[in-house]
Amino acid sequence: METQAANDVETPYSFRQLQEMIAAYLGPDNVPRRFKIITDTSDFFRVDYNDVVILGGVPYLMRNYTREGRFGLDDEPKYWVRKAIDLKNREAKIIKLVFYEEIDARVGDMVFKCVRSPGKEAAILEMVAGHRNFMQGIAISDTAGNIVRILDFIQGKRFDELIFKLAGNHEEFFYEHLPGYLAIYGKMVKAIGFLHDQGQKHGDIRRDHILLDRKTDDYRWIDFDYDYYHAANMFGYDLFGLGNILVFLVGGGDITVQQLQANESQHLEKLSPEDMNIIFNNRVANIQKIYPYVPDALNYILLHFSNGANLYYENTGQLLEDLEEVRINA
Amino acid sequence: MSIDHTKCDITGMVERHIMIAVDSSDNSRRAVLFVGDFFGCYEGFQVTLLHIILEPEATFFRDTDERQKWLSGKLEEAKKVMDEYRHILLDAGFPEDRVNVRIDTMRAPSVADCIIKEQEEMKCCTIVIGRRGISKKEEFIFGSTSNRIIHEAKKCAVLVIE
Repeated sequence: METQAANDVETPYSFRQLQEMIAAYLGPDNVPRRFKIITDTSDFFRVDYNDVVILGGVPYLMRNYTREGRFGLDDEPKYWVRKAIDLKNREAKIIKLVFYEEIDARVGDMVFKCVRSPGKEAAILEMVAGHRNFMQGIAISDTAGNIVRILDFIQGKRFDELIFKLAGNHEEFFYEHLPGYLAIYGKMVKAIGFLHDQGQKHGDIRRDHILLDRKTDDYRWIDFDYDYYHAANMFGYDLFGLGNILVFLVGGGDITVQQLQANESQHLEKLSPEDMNIIFNNRVANIQKIYPYVPDALNYILLHFSNGANLYYENTGQLLEDLEEVRINA
Repeated sequence: MSIDHTKCDITGMVERHIMIAVDSSDNSRRAVLFVGDFFGCYEGFQVTLLHIILEPEATFFRDTDERQKWLSGKLEEAKKVMDEYRHILLDAGFPEDRVNVRIDTMRAPSVADCIIKEQEEMKCCTIVIGRRGISKKEEFIFGSTSNRIIHEAKKCAVLVIE
């Protein structure tokens, strides 16, 4: 069978050696006849399925691209984020190629400029090496100087997907499962505090950016390449994200006006504009009004993220201090 | 007993040294106009116009060229407004040698932290700052420089100009 490389670049591996490595992983019958050997990833659209990208002397067999999980953009392909196989040790990886992007981030009706920064993510990866609550990986510059991130593939579910399947009703969820999840949440807040203490922000805190690593049983923050210009408070946006996750967690999902209307809920009458989420005005933040068994200490934290708040958390330490006061007793 | 009018009695600071923390916004201009109107006709005051350029981490930019361009743009803009603000104060009656202009490029979690640090170092007895008039939502996410200064500044008076 005639096989050949589609290009001719200087690499530490011959085409034949790479074929043998691929055969060892995919089986001899599944070795692609043609593939490119890539050392400069500047044009990530050129990186195709079955190509081999060589980074830091290690060959990675490229697999499918990943898809966006962000609400409203579900299933949008992310061509610069690829599944891959380390052909030396056959471990699954996620390879993030360099994609500079300026994004108009929308938060409620506010819009602000965000950038995708490979350098920021690389710096954080180094900072959190060995930390159980962050995705792990390394950053390597390709031959053109692009900062490519090579991440350990996390096999596991998103934090929010786990919550819904826990109990038949909210009260059962609240007493049976929430205390455990609040403890996990506290750990995740502490992990963000670890970043903040070193002058970094996550930049895109969302509930789908926490994954449960099935292999190690650790919850991990993922995707920290977003950056934005801050002036008055560097950590405000991160704290906003942490607040949204907590409100979601305590409510056993987001409680919206639309849901309450659809269910002809009597709670609607009790709600005032002050009870709603400060940014997403259709979400209830004062959850005690829906579920009266939410203790005051916990609801007090939630109210910091409501329209009625006059005081906001400025750092994770303040949030953690209040979390420590929360007791849930059946 | 004679009173030394060059000292700020309530704070024990070195002298009547007012810091106006500014940027290129209209509210900063209002703060400068306020100081000119209010203190320009009195003797014994020293004013420092402070403009903080909060520099993002190097990784915020694609490369050093982009970073340099950003910094030069900010510096140019700052110099322009500082010149205008200086003239407002001189026209209001402040002697030339009593008006200082300072533009600092710093990295910090917030502009307010930088202003407070400078105030402590320069031993200014008063910080004057304009209020941006941001919405509650904006304050929640991005914070408010004037609010933070009101809460964090020690041993000095804070004037917030609407």
